[in-house]
Amino acid sequence: MVLAPVLPPSPEAVPAEPSFERLVADLVGLFQRGVREALDEHVFNDWALRVFRWQFQHNPAFRGYCLGRGVTPGTVKSWVDVPAVPTGAFKRLRLMSAEEGREPDAVFHTSGTSRTERRGEHWVASLRLYRSTLLPTFRVHLLPDGARLPMLALMPSPQDAPTSSLSYMIGAASEAFSAEGGGWFATADGVLQEEELRRAVEGAVDTGAPVLIAATAFALAHWLDGLARENLRFALPEGSRVMETGGFKGRVRGVSRNDLYHGILARLGIPMNRVVNEYGMTEMLSQFYEPALSRFQDSDVGLEDRFHVGPPWVRTRILDPVSLVQVPDGEPGLLCHHDLANVGSVACLLTEDMGVAVADGFRLLGRIPGAEPRGCSLAIEELLNAAQMR
Amino acid sequence: MVTESFDGWAVPPGTLTDLVFAEDGGVRHPVLDTEAARGLLVALRAAREDALLRDTVQERVRLLGRAGARFLDPEDPLRQEAEERLPATADISPEMARAVIEGMARDWTAERLAALLSAELSQPEALDRFVPQSGGGRARAFAPALSFHIGAGTVPGVSATSMLRGLLLGSATLVKPGVGDVVLPVLLARALAEEAPRLASAVAVLYWSGGSGEDTEQVLLETADLVVAYGGDATVRSLRDRLPVTTPLVAYHHRLSVALVGRSALSQESLPGVASTLARAVALFDQRGCVSPHAVLVEQGGDVGARELTEALARELERLHRVLPPTDLAPSHASAVHQLRRTCELRRGAGENLELHTGPGASWTVVLESANKLEPSCLGRTVRVHSVVDALEVPDLLVPVGRHLQTVGVAGLGDRVEEVAAALGKVGAVRICPLGDVPFPPPWWHHDGRGPLSVFLRWVDLED
Repeated sequence: MVLAPVLPPSPEAVPAEPSFERLVADLVGLFQRGVREALDEHVFNDWALRVFRWQFQHNPAFRGYCLGRGVTPGTVKSWVDVPAVPTGAFKRLRLMSAEEGREPDAVFHTSGTSRTERRGEHWVASLRLYRSTLLPTFRVHLLPDGARLPMLALMPSPQDAPTSSLSYMIGAASEAFSAEGGGWFATADGVLQEEELRRAVEGAVDTGAPVLIAATAFALAHWLDGLARENLRFALPEGSRVMETGGFKGRVRGVSRNDLYHGILARLGIPMNRVVNEYGMTEMLSQFYEPALSRFQDSDVGLEDRFHVGPPWVRTRILDPVSLVQVPDGEPGLLCHHDLANVGSVACLLTEDMGVAVADGFRLLGRIPGAEPRGCSLAIEELLNAAQMR
Repeated sequence: MVTESFDGWAVPPGTLTDLVFAEDGGVRHPVLDTEAARGLLVALRAAREDALLRDTVQERVRLLGRAGARFLDPEDPLRQEAEERLPATADISPEMARAVIEGMARDWTAERLAALLSAELSQPEALDRFVPQSGGGRARAFAPALSFHIGAGTVPGVSATSMLRGLLLGSATLVKPGVGDVVLPVLLARALAEEAPRLASAVAVLYWSGGSGEDTEQVLLETADLVVAYGGDATVRSLRDRLPVTTPLVAYHHRLSVALVGRSALSQESLPGVASTLARAVALFDQRGCVSPHAVLVEQGGDVGARELTEALARELERLHRVLPPTDLAPSHASAVHQLRRTCELRRGAGENLELHTGPGASWTVVLESANKLEPSCLGRTVRVHSVVDALEVPDLLVPVGRHLQTVGVAGLGDRVEEVAAALGKVGAVRICPLGDVPFPPPWWHHDGRGPLSVFLRWVDLED
């Protein structure tokens, strides 16, 4: 295949959208209908086409990409025809879809898996939209009982980490749903404040008030290691729960998920069925959760039987890694998410994560099995790290 | 089509009994406990004294070459078995298997081994006895009594070549190939058993999967007199930590290669030939070799430019996709290819000046773009083409990958070749060669910068 020359769009093919703010307001209205209410295929499709038209019109790189593939709002009849943007493209391009001259509300950076990797940037045109997708999803999966709990966040605060989408998300959830007594327990450069954290946990145990712990799997594993070294065990009050994220993308320093969850039970007294994995990415405003609390509560679904679900305004297709054609149900493939909340950047994202469809969600298989290049062929990361160390 | 698993091991008769077997990636292999491993090492050392060193080095050249040459004969049953077995175990197509066997076995003949020996040692007989030295006195070269060769498995044939180096010098040789490279050393050991049974009693090939057999591996590492290792940087680092301080480690870590096309090779007449040799270098080993080019640097000022070469290269890769087909890419590699391709499409959509040519699925990819430093390829026959004003700009582009740089295949540099080669060598390149020779270095090449035989040797001076 050779790329066709890029032609300008024909204006009549693109019905005008009054403004970004109007589109955002309409989407916020949609999201307010709630997470539990499914969207009919044709409703989702209409929304997806409206979002596509907006992005085609207001994102020059995306428009050029579509035109290169012979795709225009005139040719797209179904949301599955929208060309997927690789998440890696966020490392090279600013993919904001908004009126020219509009400044982003925030720029979030991907964490990257090594010091030297090029960082991705998500230019977020509307934080209002981010809040309107993250809050109802968070509430349904972490607080289905309507509890208001102190939130212990094992990460830097949004003020200390203004480019972290995770800190922003937990900050917004905390503002909306938490009770007094929580806090941020990592410094700006990510160092865990274990002493303060221990006092907060002891306080919760003393008062008998349950807490919500929000953390990356990495931070949790580090904290649990510290507790194990000091031989500390806590029995956090019943009703306490954990949101952990990031544990799927590769190992957590060699700690399996099973060991991590056992550690949480052993050191903090929180049972596995109250630990909820969140799967999200900087490039995407909506999140997926394992419905451990919202659906499985007390039914002890084994870790291997868990799966992730997204809000109704996200649809995920699973694609063959070689052909990028959708695989038959039950076969593993690359996850390709279509998130209406991403209207301000690009809605259809081709990830590097493998998964398999189950029920109304998918089971994550992690980032690509067997990803290690072998032998004298090149491990790119290794090479770049070595180059950087000189 | 062979379906039953391959017996991925070869040991001297009578050395291992009561074996328990395991299977991994279509390879059946014995599971050794530490006691069995020690027993095998004792047998190999004894065989070295009785068998290997009874012959002169020239006699070993003759015998090893007789076994090696069998893989060049398409009618030979062992060659045929190699062709049958390689595709499944090495994850390459049958066409690729034939090309790899031909390319590797070319250097396993007596003639090539003799040339290797004389290129490396001005007095090969120093391996047999003390020989007078020009400055006075005498000297003799001792090979390690037992060398342990750990292969990577990325490129089939590498472990077999390593094994021949050890045996040629008179070292009892234990080979642990990577799973993708089990077939050729095992079959070469079988060829030796048929052609030179005495020699064959000093060689063993054993495979076990990474992570398993750690205790056994530790025994071998602690007992060997020299260890040769091919593998990723992490593998090499871990071996260094596990070896006794007195055991030399000859480590071949990650490497990558590039091509440089000078303006004299950029005419309408020469373009097809240049594109075809380039494409072959990229496609061979499905780009998994350390010799496989990741990028092509094209000098300006020729009759044709980087764009024409890019197009010709794309046409050749498409042709090779049919005549030297790849196997299906692993999901990780296919995903990386699609991420790269679509990001290129977006960058082009954003107005960046780049060209993208792609094959079906994730089969091959050529990107023409400007660059101020070399970016490693995500493999899967993916190659970047960059235009440079002058060949002497290239070394600067390569500085970031200098420590991992290996081959620079060149064409069209004319009498500037030595000047350019010196500049490339300065930033880390260890081999500058014609494009057509990129995939298969000659046996006597300074492997990653060092003599392939001299790294094994310990010299003993006898002063008068």
